[in-house]
Amino acid sequence: MTALLLPSLILLALLNIYPLVYAISQSLHDGNLVQTGPFVGLDNFTAVLEDDRFWAATRVTGIFAVAGVLGSWLVGLALALTFKAGLPFRALLRGLLLLPWVIPVVVSAATWQWLVSTPSSPVRVLTRALGAGDVLFLADPKWAIITLCVFRIWVSYPFMFLQAGAALEAIDNDLYEAATVDGASRIQRFTHITWPLIRKSTLISLLLMTIFTVNDFGSVYLLTGGGPAEATQTLPVLSYLLVFREFTSGTGVAVSVLMSVALVLLSIILYRQIRKSE
Amino acid sequence: MTADPLGGAITVATVADVPDRRARRGSPRRRAAWLRFILVTAFAVVVLVPVGTVLLLALHPSSSGTSDLSGWTLDAFGILSTTNIPHALLNNLMVSVAATVLSVAVGACGGYVVSRSKGRAVPAYSASLFIIQALPVIVFVIPLFVLFARIALVDSLTGIVIVYVAAGVAVNTWIMAAYFDTIPVALEEAAWIDGCSRFGGFFRIMLRNATPGLLSAAVFSFLLSWNDYLAAAVFLKSDDVKTMPVAIQQFFQQTGADWASIMASAVLMIIPPLVVFVVLGRRLSLGGLGGSLAGK
Repeated sequence: MTALLLPSLILLALLNIYPLVYAISQSLHDGNLVQTGPFVGLDNFTAVLEDDRFWAATRVTGIFAVAGVLGSWLVGLALALTFKAGLPFRALLRGLLLLPWVIPVVVSAATWQWLVSTPSSPVRVLTRALGAGDVLFLADPKWAIITLCVFRIWVSYPFMFLQAGAALEAIDNDLYEAATVDGASRIQRFTHITWPLIRKSTLISLLLMTIFTVNDFGSVYLLTGGGPAEATQTLPVLSYLLVFREFTSGTGVAVSVLMSVALVLLSIILYRQIRKSE
Repeated sequence: MTADPLGGAITVATVADVPDRRARRGSPRRRAAWLRFILVTAFAVVVLVPVGTVLLLALHPSSSGTSDLSGWTLDAFGILSTTNIPHALLNNLMVSVAATVLSVAVGACGGYVVSRSKGRAVPAYSASLFIIQALPVIVFVIPLFVLFARIALVDSLTGIVIVYVAAGVAVNTWIMAAYFDTIPVALEEAAWIDGCSRFGGFFRIMLRNATPGLLSAAVFSFLLSWNDYLAAAVFLKSDDVKTMPVAIQQFFQQTGADWASIMASAVLMIIPPLVVFVVLGRRLSLGGLGGSLAGK
């Protein structure tokens, strides 16, 4: 039976473990993408840790992850609760609401770019009508971060909606009927029945989404390119630019190795939560 | 069933599937359901503005303000004869289908072992899959680029298929393991008694009964490879191997973006995942990818 494990073992060893080991070694060497330079010990890591760009990118990644994860969770949960309560045309609406998840990020980043940067677009018309004037969504550093976070919420809420929906589906409706008979209010039914029963799966979704969001290169790179002036540069984007634009693969890979350490810790927490919930 | 005076969001859960047929016309419960319908529809309209924009700009290019075309037209789809977009679409399809088939096959085999084996190494294996999956793609992409450059797999469709298979294996293994867990061992045992080998049991019994799991894994792999930008941007350089996410970049020029062509390409790029979703959507379990992940 273990023979069936062979294909995936070989793939993992060659394409996951080997690159990982190679990346760690790269982070300990000088040089560029084509040629590995001399061994420099932890120099790349100290260089990265002393670099303001790294800390700025860490901060942006933090804002992006917190806003993206909590925002998409709130939207997803609100939608799931509404759907659980029942409404006409639910299958159709559910399908439409999942669209942002199905659409390739290249496409959604392009259409968002058009919407926020074209003066005649409905978004710009609306901001002018609201008296906010011409908001420079991608050119003003503060607005660029907000736009990026809203974009990420838009991309991720369908996943959170599905997750919350699955968790709510599993709750026995008799519990609500019994609680109603006992005179529980709507809020009490949520805090005493719904929340305790979905808490575990909510935590798992939040952790999973944190991993997805921190790793999200496409949304950031394609929507803002990290700009204006590095204001929206997250860690994956910084790492990519260091390797492929500035040709310093040692420091670029060091950034992603540092990121990996944080993500491994996060995934261990997640793994234990999932094991516990079984 | 009596009408619920509160009409609360949670209370009416009991009639979730038939909210309006059973309740009397004009009852508070029915009105609450329609109110929710209106709210959700309003939300959907706002959320779908970017999708509508794609269609509008592709079919009515003059609304982008950068073109002198006017009115509704299919002119933007001229990119199908004047650019390498059809070729890029074909590349994208070939790459995604190949990567999907391979990674589902590998994932199903691995998932079977994770689900059925009682070996001590299995939990460690499944834990390492979990951790690998959480690592940033960029950490793998750079070393693979160096490795592939040595064996002439950079700038080749075979190379990118290998990258996508590797990227999907961990999650596919889990989706399949979680699904196999739901198939009773008794089913296999019966086959073994009838003279089926372990492999025969896997192919004839398990795979045949795991269609929803296989479909979930396939949809996940397909979306992963169809939508990817990072690996494609790093590995695919020449025009004849470009997939859509990189081919579309040619319309973003220093002098400005050719929105009509971008949106026409976007429409073409949305169609395959949409077809996959509409055809298979109902057969996937509600939790989809996440549900299976969390279940294992």
